[in-house]
Amino acid sequence: MKIGVFIPELLRHLFKKPATVDYPLQKLEVPRDFRGSPYLRPELCIVCRACERDCPAEAIEITATNEAEKRFRMVIHNDRCIHCAQCVDSCPTEAMLMDTRFEISDYDRHNLKMEWEYVRAVVKPKAEPKTS
Amino acid sequence: MRFQIPIGPQHPALKEPISLRMTVEGEIIRDADIRLGYNHRGLEKLAEQKTWIQNIYLTERICGICSHSHTTCYVQGVEKLMELEPPKRGLYIRTLVAELERIHSHLLWLGVAGHEAGFDSFFMYTWRDREIVMDILEIICGNRVHYGINTIGGVRRDLDEQQVKHILDSLAILRQRSEYYQHLGTNEPSFVARLAGVGYLSREDAIALCAVGPTLRASGVPMDVRKDDPYAVYDEVPFEVCTADTCDVLGRTVVRIKELFQCYNIIEYLLKNLPSGPVAVRAPRRAKPNEVVSRYEAPRGENIHYIKSNGTDKPERLKVRAPTLGNYAATIKMLKNGFIADVPLIFAAIDPCICCAERAVSLVDARSGQEKIISMNSLKTLSLKVSAGKARKREAEWPL
Amino acid sequence: MATVKTLIYLVIYPGLLFLFLYSTFVEWYDRKLYARLQNRMGPTHTGRFGLLQPIADFIKLMAKEDIVPDRADRKMFSVLPAVGLAIVFTAMLLLPVWNYSLDQPSAISFNGDLIVVLYLLSLPTFIFFLAGWSSTNLFSTIGGARVLTMLFGYEVPLFLSVLSPAVLADSWRLAEIAAFYRQKPALALVNLLGFIVALICVQAKLERTPFDIPHAETEIVGGTFTEYSGKKLALFRLMMDAEMVVAAGLLATVFLGGFPGGVFLGLLNFIIKTLFVIFFLSLIRATTSRIRVDQVVSFAWKYLAPLAILQLLIVILVKGLIS
Repeated sequence: MKIGVFIPELLRHLFKKPATVDYPLQKLEVPRDFRGSPYLRPELCIVCRACERDCPAEAIEITATNEAEKRFRMVIHNDRCIHCAQCVDSCPTEAMLMDTRFEISDYDRHNLKMEWEYVRAVVKPKAEPKTS
Repeated sequence: MRFQIPIGPQHPALKEPISLRMTVEGEIIRDADIRLGYNHRGLEKLAEQKTWIQNIYLTERICGICSHSHTTCYVQGVEKLMELEPPKRGLYIRTLVAELERIHSHLLWLGVAGHEAGFDSFFMYTWRDREIVMDILEIICGNRVHYGINTIGGVRRDLDEQQVKHILDSLAILRQRSEYYQHLGTNEPSFVARLAGVGYLSREDAIALCAVGPTLRASGVPMDVRKDDPYAVYDEVPFEVCTADTCDVLGRTVVRIKELFQCYNIIEYLLKNLPSGPVAVRAPRRAKPNEVVSRYEAPRGENIHYIKSNGTDKPERLKVRAPTLGNYAATIKMLKNGFIADVPLIFAAIDPCICCAERAVSLVDARSGQEKIISMNSLKTLSLKVSAGKARKREAEWPL
Repeated sequence: MATVKTLIYLVIYPGLLFLFLYSTFVEWYDRKLYARLQNRMGPTHTGRFGLLQPIADFIKLMAKEDIVPDRADRKMFSVLPAVGLAIVFTAMLLLPVWNYSLDQPSAISFNGDLIVVLYLLSLPTFIFFLAGWSSTNLFSTIGGARVLTMLFGYEVPLFLSVLSPAVLADSWRLAEIAAFYRQKPALALVNLLGFIVALICVQAKLERTPFDIPHAETEIVGGTFTEYSGKKLALFRLMMDAEMVVAAGLLATVFLGGFPGGVFLGLLNFIIKTLFVIFFLSLIRATTSRIRVDQVVSFAWKYLAPLAILQLLIVILVKGLIS
């Protein structure tokens, strides 16, 4: 046991730059594979509903607006989303992707809703989904 | 003069709600009582309504600090149910994340121990260096807390060369910092004076009261699921089970710091011997009717999941025994005849995760203090009967 | 003229206004230093370098709801912060900071003012105890008991170590002690041991880590201040900052040769010397962890009190040698 073992370390940091980042003024880079919010590329969606079925938070909602024209509407409830990216894994055509935004808070949860209305795409699934 | 002081459900030393009732004489605790049930979330019931895949993310949210432990424990069980054999590379990555999580959990605990002992500089420095491991996890998994790396039949993301190099570089810094903390934690007189001899739990008591994890190992019992019942790739990885025989909070600190060094060795071994190949296999949507118990050594101790399937795509029953629950009985033993000043330290030394352990609700009669357990339906009828047509009660007395 | 002079002395410098502003500055200094020692940023956004943060905190607390518990002794509970503040501000007036010359000592300097300052600095401790006791909360009561227990530990070493320079200077008057050590700076080195003991005791008196036992938040919530809120808490916080200034000023007077040089140079001296003392107080705060109340008492009587007595012995020997 020694008295003041911590002092050299403390004094060494006295004139160093703080480790803290002055957050709202400076921002850190997020890594390449960061899991932000999910978004849809409607031109690739074949409406297999795998994302809707696998979403643990039930945040994805697909409804048919016009069965004859094969028009569909997809709503991602970002207020419910837990950012697990299971929809990206489940999607057979890579129509679902994650962006890298992380400052998504809002005063009204309904503003977080994202909507797409699109015609069902005719795309051959590129790869088998990793987990069905 | 004996009086009872309530620590919790709301108290600055507790990050989550739990009630510790201390009967004290002056500064000395004569009796202690733990009340649970302030943070019950009904996770087990919810798991019965979700599919196997969805439940991965649900079990992840049992705990924020050991999120990977709960998913791994669950996923291992489900893989056994579905008779899947995850590929080697997947298991290596799963183990890698598990060990990184152990580092982050132990560094966090060191900081918390410093904070509870009023050693805020130690807290700031350990948490600053914990950011290194958090960043590694973010790079591997894409998230800092809920990694979401596990899936049934393997892991979801692969490692590339650049990431491996980054992890090895960061580990060198972490190893150096951990050596410094070991030096500091065992040499700063005021800190050691607070930790040594506090919260004594003898070897016999630790075994009799079913303590788990570092609490048990600090009492000199070399028990570790990774060694005793190896899962994932722990049977291939060389490592030691760290123990201490001081049986006090200082011993628990030392065990955790020693485990940090074991973690660094394990990670280096894993990265150097990373096999090539796929990271996951395809999993079926349904599991045959069966039941399984899965064990996992979480940073806090042994984590047990019991899973029962009935042939559908949903589990029939999921039972979680988090490590904190195993340590409560030992905590009461440790608290008795200690000082009030040591309560936060002793309680923090088991690294409590209260909402992990919340699996039951008991009813306490506010007037008589009587406890009983009743079914949900009769609880509903009771609440309707009591509150029907009554004005809201003001100035309720705290049932001390 | 004398009235105006007294008014300036009481209200502007070194009285109310100066002490208020300077103690907020000292709080900022302490917080910033503590943060930088921990590799953090500390207060940053309010004012330049966050200099106005303590004042902003004070104003915020003043505007908050003020709650008096039902079972508390209402009068006692409300009057204590004001009394405590008054005591600390009175102690400040006794420090030789202005109009200071040995030929014309100001009206406030008198023989024995050292003892009065020491006693005025003991009173806040009793204020804390009474505050904890009168709020009747369990945590406050324990906090109050801890305040008194700690007092038994550090009070005697503090008195001994602060009085030994006075013994060497052969005077109980602060101004004369300071002047003595300014004339013979080499003799100030004799008191080095006493200075260290006094620093640790002042740390205990100010209830900062490792002695922040009476309001250890992880153990007993807010300790003595658990039930205090709003204006009363703001006054208590101001009182603790002011106490830090006064205690640092006392140590600077007794051990570091006071604050010579009239109004401006004296002010500069005061600021530099008190900040020097507070730097050590912050360093102790950053280096150590909180110890238990029984450890405080045993530490004080095992180490601090013998060291203080040793200091007294050294002083007596040195005094015999030089006379």
